[in-house]
Amino acid sequence: MSDDTPDRKRVSVPEEIELPRLLDFYELQTDDHTRIHEFYENLRDGQLTTTRCQDCEEIHYPPRIVCPECMGDNLAYVDLPHEGELFAFSEVRGGLPIGLAEHDVPYVVAVVDLGPVRLSARVDGAAYDDLEIGDPVELNIVEIDGPTEEERVFYRFEPVNENGGDSE
Amino acid sequence: MVRNVAIVGGGHSDWGERAATWKDLAQEGGKAAFDAVPEVGPEDIEGLFVGAVQPERFANQTHVAPLVAELLGIEVTEMIARTELACASGQAALRYAWLAIAAGQLDVALVLGVEKMNLGRKYMPEMQASMANVLDREFDGANGLAAPPFFAWYAQRHMHEYGTTREQLSQVAAKNKTNASKTDFAQFQSSCAIEDVEESPEIAAPLHLFDCSGITDGAAGAILMSEEKAREVTDTPAFITGSGQSSMAGNSINNLPSLSTWPQARKASQNAYEQAGIEDPLADIDVAEVHDCFSISEIIEYEELGFAERGEGGQFIEDGRSHIDGDVAVNPRGGLLGCGHPLGATGISQALEITHQFQGTVSSDRQVDDPTTGLIHNLSGSASVHSVMVLDRDPQ
Repeated sequence: MSDDTPDRKRVSVPEEIELPRLLDFYELQTDDHTRIHEFYENLRDGQLTTTRCQDCEEIHYPPRIVCPECMGDNLAYVDLPHEGELFAFSEVRGGLPIGLAEHDVPYVVAVVDLGPVRLSARVDGAAYDDLEIGDPVELNIVEIDGPTEEERVFYRFEPVNENGGDSE
Repeated sequence: MVRNVAIVGGGHSDWGERAATWKDLAQEGGKAAFDAVPEVGPEDIEGLFVGAVQPERFANQTHVAPLVAELLGIEVTEMIARTELACASGQAALRYAWLAIAAGQLDVALVLGVEKMNLGRKYMPEMQASMANVLDREFDGANGLAAPPFFAWYAQRHMHEYGTTREQLSQVAAKNKTNASKTDFAQFQSSCAIEDVEESPEIAAPLHLFDCSGITDGAAGAILMSEEKAREVTDTPAFITGSGQSSMAGNSINNLPSLSTWPQARKASQNAYEQAGIEDPLADIDVAEVHDCFSISEIIEYEELGFAERGEGGQFIEDGRSHIDGDVAVNPRGGLLGCGHPLGATGISQALEITHQFQGTVSSDRQVDDPTTGLIHNLSGSASVHSVMVLDRDPQ
């Protein structure tokens, strides 16, 4: 750049922009925000649940406010088992979404067969090479820190310790 | 009402990690399309269909179809739309243009697909998060689920249920990446051996980096015309003789009936085959560009598109039956694994490959021997949607 560059007016953009809450992973979970708040309230109380249609008896996962089978809206929350089996799993090391790149790698993400439903979930406390299809896993509820003040929880699973509390 | 519709030609921008904006890419793809068909100019275009998946997140731009019209000087007189169907957006754009021309609503359409995905290394997790949002974000995305582990489950289940081997996955990736080395616009330009796939870093076990399609900037544009208009422009149009699409009522992982089969691909292809009068796809299809977003995908597609029995897709590649000189040449362009996968452009690029194979204008070392019938296939989202289009040198 030569010295005869004319003086220019400087304009600026903010150096830091707070990440919009919308861009974090987890939905807000109270009745101010979602009509499936009961699912999250049950989870906070330690119980994994989902909705079942009172008219046609269809069970859904994820929970709904309208039954996709009969279009009824008379739904009730029912308990799901807290133990299931690994149907499929992978261990993620690359191609990571925002917020996961810096920590938590590698992590195991699986399809867990609970019987009434199959669902995706993180599996904590295990490595890919230690797991097999059909291995038993159990529910592990975690609390979510930040970036909002709202209290939030989510479900994960972990391998069932086959030695359990029994000494072997 | 129904009229014959043909692709008369088109072209590509260079694909890869490009020092170019979304608007640059759209202009390159549009210019390539008009350059390839000099008889048609922007003034002839009556309908414009733009395949674009996440310009809002990748380029901070929405309402993109009118923007493309402005960039290319197109005064649309009949129909304009952007299509978003995740990884099948390009084929969705082709399908809408085909329907509009077949229905007699317009005679000449430009179908342009474009995606800008490389945001700089620092911001790639943001791009990956946008991709993960294709799934049910609340119940699947929150689990750190994205495309690589999702397709890794399919690989694991297919191996578990049918005995498919790690080496068979590598054979798909090596074939397609090597084919791409003969494709001038492709992202990956080196031939690839089976060992190269297995020695590449593990991304989501059991899938390695070379089992995964690229993060790609790129565009492709195709010009579609009614048969009458097409005959004025070229002696070698590629007629769209069948188009099928099928979606299950399930996008969440929980509601997928299987993690080793794609019934919707079977249904979409059967619908397309019926329209095109194809009874035996293995015998009748000469060249296919299928959605190999991951190596396992192509193996399942051999089965669901009717080239191999269910469970025998791994053996199909092992026997070399999908190579350029095999029973059906699958992904001679290099597929998504070799060309890369700029989401909105992929389906259009696949259709152009079939068109150029018919016209005999591809590089001679990937030219299929005198093909007359081809297909393109895309899946989208959690593979709950499948789209299949059959192309033919003759309009049935």
